[in-house]
Amino acid sequence: MTHDIVFTVNGNPERASVPATMTLLDLLRDRLALTGTKEGCGIGECGACTVLLNGKPITACLMLAVEADGQAIETIEGEAVGGELSVLQQSFIDAGATQCGFCTPGMIMSAHGLLLRSPSPSHDEIVEAIAGNLCRCTGYEAIIAAIRLAADRLGGEPHDA
Amino acid sequence: MLGNFEYTRIRSIDEGCRALADAKEAGAVLAGGTDLLVEIRNGLKSPKLLVDCKALDDLHVLDTSPEKTTIGASVTLNRLIENRTFRGHYPALADALESIGTYQLRNRATVSGNICNGSPAADSAPVLLVLDATVHVHGVGGPRVIPIADFFAGVKRTALNPDEIVTSITLPVNAGRRTSFLKQQRIKGHDLAVVNAAGAYDPETREVRLAIGSCAPTPVLLDPIPMDVSDLAASINHAVSLVQRSVSPISDVRASAGYRNAVLPVLVTRILRELLDPGGEA
Ligand SMILES: Cc1cc2nc3c(=O)[nH]c(=O)nc-3n(C[C@H](O)[C@H](O)[C@H](O)COP(=O)(O)OP(=O)(O)OC[C@H]3O[C@@H](n4cnc5c(N)ncnc54)[C@H](O)[C@@H]3O)c2cc1C
Ligand code: FES
Ligand code: FES
Repeated sequence: MTHDIVFTVNGNPERASVPATMTLLDLLRDRLALTGTKEGCGIGECGACTVLLNGKPITACLMLAVEADGQAIETIEGEAVGGELSVLQQSFIDAGATQCGFCTPGMIMSAHGLLLRSPSPSHDEIVEAIAGNLCRCTGYEAIIAAIRLAADRLGGEPHDA
Repeated sequence: MLGNFEYTRIRSIDEGCRALADAKEAGAVLAGGTDLLVEIRNGLKSPKLLVDCKALDDLHVLDTSPEKTTIGASVTLNRLIENRTFRGHYPALADALESIGTYQLRNRATVSGNICNGSPAADSAPVLLVLDATVHVHGVGGPRVIPIADFFAGVKRTALNPDEIVTSITLPVNAGRRTSFLKQQRIKGHDLAVVNAAGAYDPETREVRLAIGSCAPTPVLLDPIPMDVSDLAASINHAVSLVQRSVSPISDVRASAGYRNAVLPVLVTRILRELLDPGGEA
């Protein structure tokens, strides 16, 4: 049996007819061709599949596509607007926070969720926000610096050293 | 694609209980899915029907009234962790929930899912046990309540019947009692507890409640232990020996029985020092 669902992705209304067993991650990648969202582990451990569900970061591999019915999803493809990189994306480049890039979409979506709930995050808040995003290249320091840089550029007041 | 199952989003709790009863043990409630979908993917579970209760408004209730706190079954861990009133009343429970998984996971996972999964390592369990939580469930025959001390029945087994759905967990007021939760784990966010433990101390009765996870087939709650604050060291030694007699740690992928036996007294001692001698010479 398939389920007809209505939802938005990056603000665009979408409809799909999905089997119960399809994950949100498969819906995004295989049906909507939004392959910016990555699959690393498929079991909630690596964070490569992080997207925003109604503004909150979640792992798309641990949510069924049918559960997206009526919900708002944001993916890495929604970051750049009109060909212009988002402040977070530009900060990742400027801080050298990307190497192979596999973790980057998930990192940016986790960071996006963080800046929505805490526009001027402390170092510890940044670390906790990306603790569920594994990176095997950068050693994390440049990523933390990139998120701090983005927060500063967006006008948040840093509240620790 | 995950497994081979059907999905239903229920519009009433009775509809859900009937669907589970009709599925004859092949049904499973889908809350955050952070345990269930992993177990389906890994082939450890193969339910034929997933019953999603998240469209029921009643199950999203979080009520922190002065008499008792009600945590609806669909309330996410982050909603609790980020609620100041909740943290103020139950700091040890907030700490325990914050120790679970990753930020993304806590935006989906629920306390009900944590206990219904029946893991001996469930991080909410020790604190719920020392706080005397009550589990409210609904089945085809109507509602009933299960004291948390009677809820865990074995590894991956609970007191729930196949047609029953947890609707909420309630907590009595925690006035005057001090509580604490500690957890030993290998890597935060990517592993379960090697040992976890919670304590609650009532300065009026001078009794402590202790509960231990990951050291027996279920989380273990000890009977209240009287504490003699004038001889704290002796009281702590006594409590530690009672704990050691109540558990039966095994060796598994996370740790050896020997390691668990070595960590346990350290965690229990730290909890008791924190509860009975806050700010003292630990
Ligand atoms: C990467 C990762 C890290 C994790 N880290 C931790 C950790 O540190 N500590 C920890 O304790 N756990 C951890 N977990 C396990 C899991 O995330 C938690 O147990 C979580 O609280 C489960 O809640 P859920 O809402 O996602 O449950 P679900 O997966 O939806 O359900 C779990 C089980 O409970 C049943 N169930 C759920 N709700 C109900 C209900 N209302 N009535 C009846 N039955 C119900 C389901 O059928 C299923 O069998 C981790 C999991 C992952 C993937
Ligand atoms: S692919 Fe979802 S967390 Fe790894
Ligand atoms: S840049 Fe390669 S995994 Fe993070």
